[in-house]
Amino acid sequence: MEASVSAAVNVSILAMSVIFTVLVILIFTIKALVKLIPYEAPPPARKVSSSRPPGQDDQVAAITATLAAHMGKRPDEFRIINIQSR
Amino acid sequence: MEFSFSSSASKIVHSTAFTSLESGDIIMLAVACLLIYLAIWKKFEPLLLLPMGFGCLLANIPMSMMASTDTGGLLNFFYQGIKHEILPPLIFMGVGALTDFGPLLANPITLLLGAAAQIGVYMTLIGAVYLGFNMQEASAIGIIGGADGPTSIFLASKLAPHLLAPIAVAAYSYMSLVPLIQPPIMKLLTTEEERKIKMEQLKPISQTVKIIFPVAVTIVCCLMLPGVTPLLGMLMLGNMFRESGVTARLHETAETHLINIVTILLALAVGSSMTADSFLRLETLKIIALGLLAFSFATAGGVIFGKIMCKLSGGKINPLIGSAGVSAVPMAARVSQKVGADTDPSNFLLMHAMGPNVAGVIGSAVAAGVFLSLFGDAGSGIDTHAALAPIIGTPEPGMQALATIVEAIKK
Repeated sequence: MEASVSAAVNVSILAMSVIFTVLVILIFTIKALVKLIPYEAPPPARKVSSSRPPGQDDQVAAITATLAAHMGKRPDEFRIINIQSR
Repeated sequence: MEFSFSSSASKIVHSTAFTSLESGDIIMLAVACLLIYLAIWKKFEPLLLLPMGFGCLLANIPMSMMASTDTGGLLNFFYQGIKHEILPPLIFMGVGALTDFGPLLANPITLLLGAAAQIGVYMTLIGAVYLGFNMQEASAIGIIGGADGPTSIFLASKLAPHLLAPIAVAAYSYMSLVPLIQPPIMKLLTTEEERKIKMEQLKPISQTVKIIFPVAVTIVCCLMLPGVTPLLGMLMLGNMFRESGVTARLHETAETHLINIVTILLALAVGSSMTADSFLRLETLKIIALGLLAFSFATAGGVIFGKIMCKLSGGKINPLIGSAGVSAVPMAARVSQKVGADTDPSNFLLMHAMGPNVAGVIGSAVAAGVFLSLFGDAGSGIDTHAALAPIIGTPEPGMQALATIVEAIKK
């Protein structure tokens, strides 16, 4: 029994050493990878600027729908780019 | 043929399974009902314990041919998936597809916590040998401390197939009890000041590194421990599906449908191995007791190593994340978060704990690989041709036939 327990202790020490060795190699591999290939932040997304002042979207939608009905076209076949108030 | 009511009725009565029901079967039916109860009403790993319990129920109905040992029975076919090491690696593929190694890559030193938590495996190994198990059996029992069901099943099927059922039940039962087992040990081994330590935010990691990492792990670990390639290779393949960005359909399949289907097959197969002959033994009680020891030592090992790293880093590492080094993903990381938040509600440890948590998966797979190298037949020169001979025919006559054809062409 004592011999078996002693063998188990030896196996445990050996196995823990192997695990730490493998994982230390992995740590250095990861560190090398992170150093060689640093993180680059993605370019900021371009803001789509609207020429229309805020609050005009509802007006544009209403005018588009009316014009589409008047011209007999679909709303996506033309585009209103500017509204000037007098 | 003359019909006699009494003789026909007698024949039907004798063909029922009641006549073959023995006390062992009745006890196992009760065990099956207990597992189903724990799964449904106590929510103990229901995805596994429910099909496992039902598999046990089916296997212990006499004359049903549903035990894993009943050649030609339905569950015997499912069991071939364990016997031939198919199902646990497929589960690992799904786990890889679900796992984000980002926190580990951002703080690779936490891999050491995943290694330290494996102390539970080896303390249990020593305990199992002390209780009279041989080294192969003790290794299969010890890996329960890795808190990794598929690895436990994989190793048990290779080193101690006769202990598969109790090992699987102990592993999954204790995994479901992680939120109960770990907190008292974590609180006992840490001071309030240590539990309050706030860790720095993790740095972002390049997507290219995340793609290269699975390949690097496969090369490093599988070259060192070839026996573990089925598990670790599949884990990394699943993660490759996730990170590559070009296999969205495979990633989705691996992390949802595939892992669900394989879980059903695996749990039913394990349940079918829970027959009275294999389960109602003193060894089962010993394994259940050793399983608790394994989880406790694994938690303690991780926390103590976390304390050492805390001291060495000048108080930058919260020792509570060490307990996540047992691989029960993501439950162990959630426990670290909860215990930390109990002391300081503004302390968020979850992402930091995910590093050692996924390191634990790799650590337990490596621990299994070490056992296979020591006690299995991996790398000891398996005669592949001999193993395949029944399927592809003996290679030598094939080679002779080829040589004859070459000679004929030459002439």
